Amino acid sequence: MEEKVMLVHGGGGKQTSELIHEVFAKRFRNLYLTEDDAAILPPPASNIAFTTDGFIVSPWKFPGGNIGKLSICGTVNDISCMGARPKYLSCAFVIEEGFPVKSLEEIADAMALTAREAGVSIVAGDTKVAGHGQVDGVFITTTGIGERLPGAHPSGKSARPGDAVIVSGDVGRHGCTILLARGEYGIDAEVTSDCAPLWGMASSVFDVCRDVHVLRDATRGGVGTVLHEIAGQSGVGIRLDASAVPVDPAVAGVCGMLGLEPLYLACEGRLVIFVPKEDAEAVVAELKKSPYGENAAVIGEVTPDEPGRVVMTTELGTQTVLPPPGGELLPRIC
Amino acid sequence: MTEEGKQAVAKARAILENYKGKKLRIMEVCGTHTHAIFKAGLRQLMPENVELISGPGCPVCVTPADFIDEAVWLATEKNAVITTFGDLVRVPGSEMSLAGARSEGADIVPVYTPIDAVEYAKTHPDREVVFLSVGFETTTPSACLAVQRAEKAGLKNFSILTANKTMDEAYRALKDSVDAYIYPGHVCAIVGTRLTEELTGEGISGVVAGFTPSELVTAAATLVELCSKSDEPFFRNCYPRVVTRDGSTAAKKLVEKYMEPADAVWRGLGIIPKSGMVLRDEYAAFDARKKFSVPSFKAKNPPGCRCGEILQGKCKPTDCPLFGKTCTPEHPVGACMVSQEGTCAAYYQYGGVV
Ligand code: SF4
Repeated sequence: MEEKVMLVHGGGGKQTSELIHEVFAKRFRNLYLTEDDAAILPPPASNIAFTTDGFIVSPWKFPGGNIGKLSICGTVNDISCMGARPKYLSCAFVIEEGFPVKSLEEIADAMALTAREAGVSIVAGDTKVAGHGQVDGVFITTTGIGERLPGAHPSGKSARPGDAVIVSGDVGRHGCTILLARGEYGIDAEVTSDCAPLWGMASSVFDVCRDVHVLRDATRGGVGTVLHEIAGQSGVGIRLDASAVPVDPAVAGVCGMLGLEPLYLACEGRLVIFVPKEDAEAVVAELKKSPYGENAAVIGEVTPDEPGRVVMTTELGTQTVLPPPGGELLPRIC
Repeated sequence: MTEEGKQAVAKARAILENYKGKKLRIMEVCGTHTHAIFKAGLRQLMPENVELISGPGCPVCVTPADFIDEAVWLATEKNAVITTFGDLVRVPGSEMSLAGARSEGADIVPVYTPIDAVEYAKTHPDREVVFLSVGFETTTPSACLAVQRAEKAGLKNFSILTANKTMDEAYRALKDSVDAYIYPGHVCAIVGTRLTEELTGEGISGVVAGFTPSELVTAAATLVELCSKSDEPFFRNCYPRVVTRDGSTAAKKLVEKYMEPADAVWRGLGIIPKSGMVLRDEYAAFDARKKFSVPSFKAKNPPGCRCGEILQGKCKPTDCPLFGKTCTPEHPVGACMVSQEGTCAAYYQYGGVV
């Protein structure tokens, strides 16, 4: 096989099937992935959750993962957050002409590994090649189907005063990793992405709490954006304890230097969970059993006052608001 | 927080709570401090008769509209690619902002560092690339570094449009409006503390502060305590973890080699003699103003905007009739609403809770 992906690999002919077979099919192998035009799947046991997401991260590889792992985690986590067990995924690739086949294999390896961990089968796919410069490396779109657990009903509208607000780990790691990996700031720090498939952890939350009000995975806008969305959708206030928010010291250091708020940096492996206060302890204990949940913590509570706002108690004991998300992340210039 | 840290905070709070002295006006000159003070909720701990006011320490906010006009002129009349920190793109000029120029076809490229602008020039040899060099002592060295790189690489298509400023003259210019300053930690880390120590000789007091909640409350307490002890001007470094007497000699040398002081226009404050930094004559080839003979602009500030008074601590954003109504971070009227570190933007973001 050639060392680099060429336009002809997307042409639909012999080279296309070679690329698909050698790079993808071999690795993704499962009962439902065939050479036919569509996968035929058994009927679901319950209501299905269905979602899609596109991934265009640059650089394609970063400490703690790559775009392949990310593309599986993103869709798996969206399904998981609806209280549904991820079952099947499709994936569509747009590959830049000249992209090394070795790198593509690395991406496919990560996808296969992550899918296996998450318990999903990749059952359909598509490969297109775009001319040099038309895309940046590889773009991946994944679409997924999951089966909802009976009785699960989490929703962004369901936060209630008295709920405890829980995060499943330290915040802002993925965003910080990508900022550093781009090398634009000339800062060095040991930070790895939190990118992880979360179904195992999410399902364990339903095991110990029958009444999970809200379950979200914090992605691009970070935990802060999720909190603002929920405060708005549920018409409640959220009170955070600033010193309870887990932040990796290296991430805190980088944020300090650049003037960024870790609550607004992207996560790719963190759940934000609202449950009735009395269940909070059990949920946190359960989260901590997961390899991705050792820093899980209650970071605040839902209040009836100040609907739509997120207020923080600072380490000085004073009150401040978490400003609503907005604008691009800009480095500080003074 | 460590046990030690907690004790320091408790002590600082006690000092602030027990202050019964005269009325004080304390100015934080640094935009990052303005933001950090809101984030820490520091105002809630200040005694009633001690007022914290925000000064001219956000480089975007003090950059006059003329500068934007110059940049727009370069982009539209000279077809130059304008490389700039993202914040500046939305600052209104007298005709339009750079964002407006972009929508009319001008090439405006946001960069994170001046070095990125040099790299851009390298990879686009057929275009003139101008970097908008704003900022204080913290950012100026990197602009000089960019010129050095461009010089070494023999680039003929790279230049900078300077609006660099130094803080010391601003301290002097505003000294009658305030009782003491909270000096900017980042700036002092570069220039050292000799100058601020010497300012006591001119009757100017202040402390250098860090940016965490505990560093801020400690600095505020130190300041209040020193003010109440005597009327003698004072200086204290409350950020010794980062700030030294000499600062960064390497950065100072670099700036000294490439730039020299010149009079500069500050939005709201007017011309402050010797408060700007411009490229020395030897480097005129990298000075966009000279290279393109940029005409001088006399822009008017947006009508109704009180940025000027706000930058001098004479009024608060909430005193401006446009605040939060026609002027918001999405649709800024004045520069103070554009940058995240601008005083109006900070008041808006943290609106309601002081
Ligand atoms: S609120 Fe807007 S118009 Fe008013 S002073 Fe601030 S920036 Fe200017």
